[in-house]
Amino acid sequence: MADKVTFWYGCNVVRHGDIIHSAIALLQAVGVEVTPAGGAGYCCGTAKDANLRAAEGMGKRTVEKFNAHGTGQVVSWCPSCYRHMNGFMQEYTDAQFQLVNFAQMLHARRDVLAAKLTHRVERRVMLHQHFGFHEVDVNPLVEDLLRLIPGVELAVTQASAPGHMCSALSRVPAALKDATRALCGEARRLEADTVATVFHSCQRLLCALDGSEPFRVVNYVNLLTEAMGLPTQDDYKTWKLAGSEAAVIAAVGEARIAAIGEKLFRESILPELLRPAAK
Amino acid sequence: MSKTPSSLREHLDDFIADTLSRCTRCGKCFEACPMTRYSDGLSNAEPGAVVSGVLDWLTQTPGNAESVAWLKVCTQSSRCIDACPEGINAMKMVRVGQMSAMGSLGVPAEQTALSGRDAKDFFRVINAFAETQMSAEEIARWQR
Repeated sequence: MADKVTFWYGCNVVRHGDIIHSAIALLQAVGVEVTPAGGAGYCCGTAKDANLRAAEGMGKRTVEKFNAHGTGQVVSWCPSCYRHMNGFMQEYTDAQFQLVNFAQMLHARRDVLAAKLTHRVERRVMLHQHFGFHEVDVNPLVEDLLRLIPGVELAVTQASAPGHMCSALSRVPAALKDATRALCGEARRLEADTVATVFHSCQRLLCALDGSEPFRVVNYVNLLTEAMGLPTQDDYKTWKLAGSEAAVIAAVGEARIAAIGEKLFRESILPELLRPAAK
Repeated sequence: MSKTPSSLREHLDDFIADTLSRCTRCGKCFEACPMTRYSDGLSNAEPGAVVSGVLDWLTQTPGNAESVAWLKVCTQSSRCIDACPEGINAMKMVRVGQMSAMGSLGVPAEQTALSGRDAKDFFRVINAFAETQMSAEEIARWQR
């Protein structure tokens, strides 16, 4: 019988439906029955440090929903969600589940996964690392997973950026620039043709480098699903690389913009898509 | 045996009391931080004084300028946790200090030193991106 888990993908990762769908496919491939949960309705409240009542309400609601799933295991994609659950939410709620990081879960079943990786992926891959996620030593786990992919040559680096993912650095713009420049330099030095991101916010903030650097930025789960023969499409990257306002609008498409709402798209989403990578 | 907190505030109060009782203000957490070089206000700061300022925030008293400068550049790199000889989760100490500097723990609005990280349209943007990336059925089944 397959293990049942709740896959808690988080909020900001919804910019990358490809990551969510790949992660679910990988969990299923290693024999896990998945109940996906994420978006605003399952927010951990980590961004609500200025409003503890809101943070507590969101935390309690999310834990109660996970308890109601009854799976006993919540597999977390986002390191901010993991940190907030581990360090705050579980301290004042009756969480009836074990919290597991996604890479940990996949790594524990890597023998099953390896048998599913039958398509060669001819890439020289450097892992983009942060050293701040102290709860789970995720970088070596992901390196091990990348080594399972036939055709992948790992360009091993010791370089590692502060914070637990790039979004943490964005509040100190000079640090994000330094980390991005260091990443580009290291990838060039190692002659990597692919930089693999671990987390979604790194993919979000680095993917536009494809337009100016001699490497592609790809999240590691998409390299794994590529090796399974499952094609993925990083729409967000396509939009970031479109270039001009008119090209972004054409790439996103009228139907999607209408569904979002023209005003919200122009005020909040278009500026994000037009922002270049920090370096 | 201590009682399990029933609210976030109760948990934070327990954490603050424990931190205040154990922190020796040695400043090792500050010294281990990889982010201090990004603040001009920290170039000559005395580590113990910076930590004292953070502890002031934990007691709902505005801390010194150096403590505010440190709270501003924290990106949760975790180096401070291993550096603490007393085993205090210094990263969480700084995070709770940030909460206090935002006014969450009772510091009057006119004495706050940081603003919140959440944009007003945060969830509207999240929902909008979900619309572009997921099917209506996935949104209905996975996000409600």
